Amino acid sequence: MLTQAAPPEESVIQIVVFTQQPDWDEPWNSMPVSRSSGTGFVIEGNRIMTNAHVVTWAKQILVRRYQDSQPFQARVSYIGHDCDLALLEVDAPGFFDSLTPLPLGELPKVRSTVVTYGYPAGGEQISYTSGVVSRIELQNYTHPGNRRLLAAQTDAAINPGNSGGPVIQDGKVVGVAFQGIPGLENTGFFIAPPVFEHFLEDVKDKRYDGFPQAGIRMAPLQNAAQRAFLGVPAQFEGARIDALFSDSAKKHLRKDDVLVAVGDYPVAQDGSILYQNNQLHAGLAFSLAQSGDSVPITLWRDKKGLQTELPVHVETKDAAAGNLYELPKYYVYAGMVFTPLTKNYLSTFGQNWSATTDSELLYELFYKRKSDPENTRTDAVMLASTLAHPVNANMRIRGRVMVDKINGVRIDKLEDVISAFESGDDDFHVIDFSGSFGFETVDRIEANTANGSILNTYGIANDRRL
Amino acid sequence: MKNLLALILATFVFAPIAQAQKERSPWENSVVRLDINRHNYNYFQPWSRRVAANQKFGLVIGERAIVTTANLLYNHTLLRLQKGGRGQWYTGRVTWIDYHANIALVTVDEERFWEGLEPAKLAEEVPDSGTAELVRWNSGRFEVRKLDINRLQIRKGQLTFIDMLHLELDSEINGVGWSEAITLDNKVIGLTISQARNKCIAIPSSFIQSLLKAQSEGNYRGMGFFNFFWQQSENPTTLDYLNLTGTKRGVIVTQIPNLPGDNNTLKPRDILLEIDGNSIDPLGDYNDPVYGPMMLENLATRNHWAGDKIPMKVWRDGKEQEILYTLPKADYDNELIPTALYDSPPEYVMAGGLVFQPMTVPYLMSWGNDWQRRAPVRLIHYKGQPPTEDRPRLVVLSTVLPDPYNLGYQSYRFLVVDKINGERISRIDQLKSAFENSDGDYHVVEFEQGEPVERIILDAKRLGAATQRVMLRYGLNESSVINE
Repeated sequence: MLTQAAPPEESVIQIVVFTQQPDWDEPWNSMPVSRSSGTGFVIEGNRIMTNAHVVTWAKQILVRRYQDSQPFQARVSYIGHDCDLALLEVDAPGFFDSLTPLPLGELPKVRSTVVTYGYPAGGEQISYTSGVVSRIELQNYTHPGNRRLLAAQTDAAINPGNSGGPVIQDGKVVGVAFQGIPGLENTGFFIAPPVFEHFLEDVKDKRYDGFPQAGIRMAPLQNAAQRAFLGVPAQFEGARIDALFSDSAKKHLRKDDVLVAVGDYPVAQDGSILYQNNQLHAGLAFSLAQSGDSVPITLWRDKKGLQTELPVHVETKDAAAGNLYELPKYYVYAGMVFTPLTKNYLSTFGQNWSATTDSELLYELFYKRKSDPENTRTDAVMLASTLAHPVNANMRIRGRVMVDKINGVRIDKLEDVISAFESGDDDFHVIDFSGSFGFETVDRIEANTANGSILNTYGIANDRRL
Repeated sequence: MKNLLALILATFVFAPIAQAQKERSPWENSVVRLDINRHNYNYFQPWSRRVAANQKFGLVIGERAIVTTANLLYNHTLLRLQKGGRGQWYTGRVTWIDYHANIALVTVDEERFWEGLEPAKLAEEVPDSGTAELVRWNSGRFEVRKLDINRLQIRKGQLTFIDMLHLELDSEINGVGWSEAITLDNKVIGLTISQARNKCIAIPSSFIQSLLKAQSEGNYRGMGFFNFFWQQSENPTTLDYLNLTGTKRGVIVTQIPNLPGDNNTLKPRDILLEIDGNSIDPLGDYNDPVYGPMMLENLATRNHWAGDKIPMKVWRDGKEQEILYTLPKADYDNELIPTALYDSPPEYVMAGGLVFQPMTVPYLMSWGNDWQRRAPVRLIHYKGQPPTEDRPRLVVLSTVLPDPYNLGYQSYRFLVVDKINGERISRIDQLKSAFENSDGDYHVVEFEQGEPVERIILDAKRLGAATQRVMLRYGLNESSVINE
């Protein structure tokens, strides 16, 4: 017997979240609690799929079914910040009983019509918007800030509150609405099926790894002289591997290798592949593998073809630092607040932080890992601020500077700060700052004595979070 | 009551008469106008020559000599002077100029120009408070306006990287900063260089006078400066750490940038106690015999020039030591990214549509006055770096003029060049020989690690023809400009 499928809206969930973001400048503190809302939808296995950014920093997540005013508590079972997706579970028995999971569809065709379902701002009831798929491309995912993954652009309105809502075509989910571009009208973006399928596949082992990267930089291979120099035969297109970043790439590839194909996808001269009729950056083919997979590739090396494999992994240290979603690390000693140099920390400098921050800090965070990997610090440390106390009151340099050395030890990461202060028995601690910022000193015995009372005065329960 | 009324009436009655009988200012015979036509280079298109015109002021200070600030005299094609605020313009010429000092001497060969002009006197000392007057020609009339002297301060010079003494005044006057003379009583106390909001900055006459004296006596060897960073020593713990005994005093040397020819023996973590017989306090000030507390940088430019030896006392290894500090010469050419490049056109080499240029501050200023925020961070980063022996300067691939020859490379720009055909590139004049060193078929151009692309290949045999074609198509008269 055929059963009539329930209308999709019955499986669309309204999500109300109470979040509390950390204070990256005073990392032991939190910002005020705020309320926000988003959308989710029920998928196979009594799970709700939504955007990671909807439930990030959540203290409480409430979900409501279609035309049901009763809120239920939900919790995050998996969250993928890199792909801006999350899965929620609801412990209340019976919550999913009346809900039909939405089937997941394929990547929609450009120019085809889709309908978004969601609970955007401006009302309480579910809202539908319809539009065409305008284009399919790798897009910058603003939630992580440093990832380009597959996304589709549509002229269906996608507004705050729509986030996490399903984009439906022929009764199937062909997208998860997730972002717009401020100032650009009639453009919304949704996460494409290969991305959410990858996410669901990833968590099958009950652990989220993320999207792997090839760890290379490709350069177009369009110039006739460059093609002749590398002896690339006419039947191949292929893009040139210009730089190697990941350990795996360094081990398996060489600069000036020509990437001719990734799996079954031939690579064009501009570094693109034809993926379901969309000309897309070849990086896509690597990101669709799971972390630890080996991706078959065809290379042109030393004027010969070569079939090989490139193991790909999730990069934990990106050259271009993205947003972080773990509580900020810090260490407070003698009133000096040390915290890693992160994009989140720099954003506390103000709305216009990228234009007003000392260019050396931007260089350290966003460029140095590529231009000077040998001297790049694992996690550069900032003296964020200094909590006033007689032991440090005479220090002139009190914050917003990067730490170079403490007691002569180069500071590569926050843990080094602690060991540097704890090591040695000189009468003074000497803190050297990077660039031309000079150095400061505190009396070791006075600092050790004052430490507890400073933490008390400023209400810091723990002197560190590592 | 009656007396008061009479007084008011008198004021009303006599005021217009007083205006009608306005006396000529004695400064009218000393202040002249300068009209400058100059090249205004566009560093993003270094082959294009635009022109600019500016007007400013000069001050007669001696026999056929006019002093003015050096600003805007660079790259000039025609210099003319006018006396009396109206009438004939006379062709002038620069007889001496120093951009770091920001002072120039100008003359006019035509005898008639000097008739009726009188040299002004420069004050030997400059007050740090009180009311002064700014004098200048404005639309044919001579303008005398009051302004308040705020303070004397050490700040970076207008055309240099060195810190020197300046006079700051409160001014409500519009359009100031074109070398107008600031006068007090019957002497000139400064020449203006800029105005931002209501603060006007001037070069003090005391400096101008000592500079011109040294210049005329042949003792001027260029501006000297202290080539070290220091920090205040207000944290007494730091002085204890450095084992200083006695009173807390001096500042701490923190860094000595690499500078060719600087053989001074100052070291990081020396406590600088005394310069030229002046004690340095923890804030970095010394007590100037004339001006009171002044930042120590003033001691590098106060009656001292490059090459002068200045005695210093430092605290090092637990004791006081004496050193003789030789003032290095301020020279744009000693910077990795030179602050300025005057009186020469921008250098470039265009090869097959690829435009290579030396990286300089004028080049970076193509991003606008706030270039330090707008130019690519990768490039700005180098501004803070010292030159090294194997890397005294940098060359960038600035842009690519599209041509079939460079297909695939058209969007590359602002890339720092590492090597061409294996030769490490620091200066633009190396490019010619580097391109001659190809293995025959190809040129290999490599960029610094971390640039958006690290290596491109050019067809060596077709390079010449491509360069010619690009010159024609884009209107370049020369494929390269390299200054001697």
